[in-house]
Amino acid sequence: MRAERRGVVRAPARKRVVAVSGASSFLGRNLVGLLESDESTEKIVVVDVQSPRTAGRKTSFYQLDLTQPTVDARLAEILGAEGVDAFVHLAFLSSPSQAGAWAHELESVGTMHVLNACRERRIAKFVLRSHTALYGAHASNPNFLTEGHAVRGLPRTPFLADKIDAEKETRKYAQSVPESCVTILRFAPILGPTASNFLTRWLSRRVVPTVLGFDPLLQFVHEMDALAALTLAIAHDVPGTFNIVGEGVLPVSTVVKLAGRTPLPLPWSALQQLTALGWAAHAAEVPPSFLAYLRFLCVADGARAAAELGFFPAYSTREAVLDFGGALRLRDARLLHDAP
Amino acid sequence: MSNERPKRPTRATPAKEALPARKPAAVKPAKTTANAAKGAASKKAPAPSAPVKAAPVRAAAGSTPSSKKVTANGRPSPAPAARSVPDTGAPASASRTSTPKRPGARRGAAPSASPPPTPEAAPYVAATTPAVAPADVVAAPVIDVEEAAPSLRPPGILIDADDAETFADDVPQFAAELAADGGFEVAPARLERPALPDVAIEQDVYANDYYARQWGRAGLRGRSDHVDEFGLDPSVDVRSRAGFEALFRRYFRAEVSGIEHVPASGRALLVANHSGTFPWDGVMLKTAIRLEHPARRELRWLTEDFVYHFPFLGTFLSRIGAVRANPENAERLLDRDALVAVFPEGIQGMGKLYRQRYQLQRFGRGGYVKLALRSGAPLIPTAIVGAEETNPLLFKVGWLSKFTGLPYLPVTATFPWLGPLGLVPLPARWKVVFGPPIDLSEHGPEGADDAILVNRLNERVRATIQTLVDDAVAARGSALFG
Repeated sequence: MRAERRGVVRAPARKRVVAVSGASSFLGRNLVGLLESDESTEKIVVVDVQSPRTAGRKTSFYQLDLTQPTVDARLAEILGAEGVDAFVHLAFLSSPSQAGAWAHELESVGTMHVLNACRERRIAKFVLRSHTALYGAHASNPNFLTEGHAVRGLPRTPFLADKIDAEKETRKYAQSVPESCVTILRFAPILGPTASNFLTRWLSRRVVPTVLGFDPLLQFVHEMDALAALTLAIAHDVPGTFNIVGEGVLPVSTVVKLAGRTPLPLPWSALQQLTALGWAAHAAEVPPSFLAYLRFLCVADGARAAAELGFFPAYSTREAVLDFGGALRLRDARLLHDAP
Repeated sequence: MSNERPKRPTRATPAKEALPARKPAAVKPAKTTANAAKGAASKKAPAPSAPVKAAPVRAAAGSTPSSKKVTANGRPSPAPAARSVPDTGAPASASRTSTPKRPGARRGAAPSASPPPTPEAAPYVAATTPAVAPADVVAAPVIDVEEAAPSLRPPGILIDADDAETFADDVPQFAAELAADGGFEVAPARLERPALPDVAIEQDVYANDYYARQWGRAGLRGRSDHVDEFGLDPSVDVRSRAGFEALFRRYFRAEVSGIEHVPASGRALLVANHSGTFPWDGVMLKTAIRLEHPARRELRWLTEDFVYHFPFLGTFLSRIGAVRANPENAERLLDRDALVAVFPEGIQGMGKLYRQRYQLQRFGRGGYVKLALRSGAPLIPTAIVGAEETNPLLFKVGWLSKFTGLPYLPVTATFPWLGPLGLVPLPARWKVVFGPPIDLSEHGPEGADDAILVNRLNERVRATIQTLVDDAVAARGSALFG
């Protein structure tokens, strides 16, 4: 399987026209940059509220706000006019937002709009960015969650619920358009020198709060590997859901120490109340329900991505943490200003 | 090539004549001017380059045309004789070995890199000039050493010109010695480091993150920065080992029998009885196998959810090899040919009251049988006797459970009364008995779907273990003494 997947270099009959939503996100920005230099990509159609910095000659930009109710008709127009072959949907928030209603409009309803437009134009290839965090950290999780497990999310966590909605919509699309190739990539938390999300902000604190008495295993994927998986999914037509994870796991406390930070273990109830206060005061990165990730396991198994997608991470979890920690130290030394 | 070693024309002269004619192999090390410095310093450096080069040249120019290998007291380490040669006695050195003294020789290698002879290099001039003029005089001892007493020759003294490259490994050592001898004409001032001003250290100590960094360093010192996929931390495991072994051997005075039934390699599923209020039996089973099994296999055992998620305890157990009891976890472990222990009684077994301590509880729904059928692992019935008496459970208080997160609050002879001291196990005598393996492979993986078969096998295994337990209890005698 692996050899077959890796050995076959698919020469597409014609060059692809790839549409990217959320191109100003971390993954989107870098993906546009990669596709700009990709031989098999004829054109990149960016639909977002602003043009990514990496946009070049091949990119045509359409300003489009996915939270607007009439966006699907406009998007369908664009897709038809540009002759788009593949849609890469990346318009998701990388951190929980205080503006819950807006986030719901963007992620859950916005995905519906996007899929409606794709359905109208019968877009054959659709790639969705998702998270392994959607499995949720539960006491009953096995050590390695496979793609077959239900995405349970966490209670009272709209950040995850909206993304679960988006996945459900996407699976429905795969059924309603039988000739389509829908790939859902569930990324482990992305860590790297330039990535920015709630996890990197949590790890950037001088003193990192953890749960006293609990030290669950964490798993990350390096930003380069995440991008590699995304380009793989675009280049090959492999339908299905895949966990995109780095190899190996690390306990929370070791992660914090490798990043050069000081862990501050707090009792569970105290930490919950502090986080709730912090979230209400806009001082915490995450709502208190996210603390479950510091208490229970949420580790995914990447065997399927290796077997079917041919994705083999270059960075292990530990190397991703070390790479991130190195950049963090540089940033501390004010050699690197706030990385976007 | 013709003008190698431009600084030493007297020596270079025979080289020019002899090298191309006699020993094509020796031509290789002889560099052009451009490469001379590099070649001398790095490539042939390990065998101090000048002697290596000079010796073949001299030998060839003298009277050993037939010798394929050329003597050169080249290697830094195995040539103590050359080292002991006095600095100024060049003719004397020539009579003992073919090689000029090392300092001089090395400096001979260096000059192309550093043109002006510094005062330091003066001994070189004094030492080598007498030896230079009669080339054949120098060459003669080479033959003596080789032919007369080859056994006296320290190993590594023979250096074929081609072999010189293989000594590249010694470059760092040579460089160090070179530096020690002052061979490189590096200004001494560059080697001296200015002492760090005290101010810098003080600033470091007063830096606002200094103590945070020290704290972080101290935190990483006691742990390895990688764990296996189920969270086993080798350094925690190794550190806790001695304590558990003492507990097992001295405190519990455990006896192990039937260890030969545990395979030395390949997957196997140990099925054991569970008892004792606190999860000592998993750790002790692991210790038993590590101490007694000839292959010292690592045991991974499955623990109940509430133990696995109990603060501190669960984390510690997972660092030393416990895995949350879950069919997927067990399958993954067995797929990797691990030795896995299960306690099918689960919480029911741990919470056995003292009066029914040797009676096995229901063996779950036989999940472990399905696991063994699917993975083809043999079942090894195991009896652990003694855990029952470590913390004899008198009552279980259920209504406190929602406050503590435990399934029940155990009341032992000591526990709530003595506070944390009540958790200390009593010094019961343990007996660990491994029964002969039960091979289920005749039923095949599809047997896992046959509920009746699974139940029957489950009962059979349970009866086997009950017999093992009863026999072990009878054989043990007194629970505490003896």
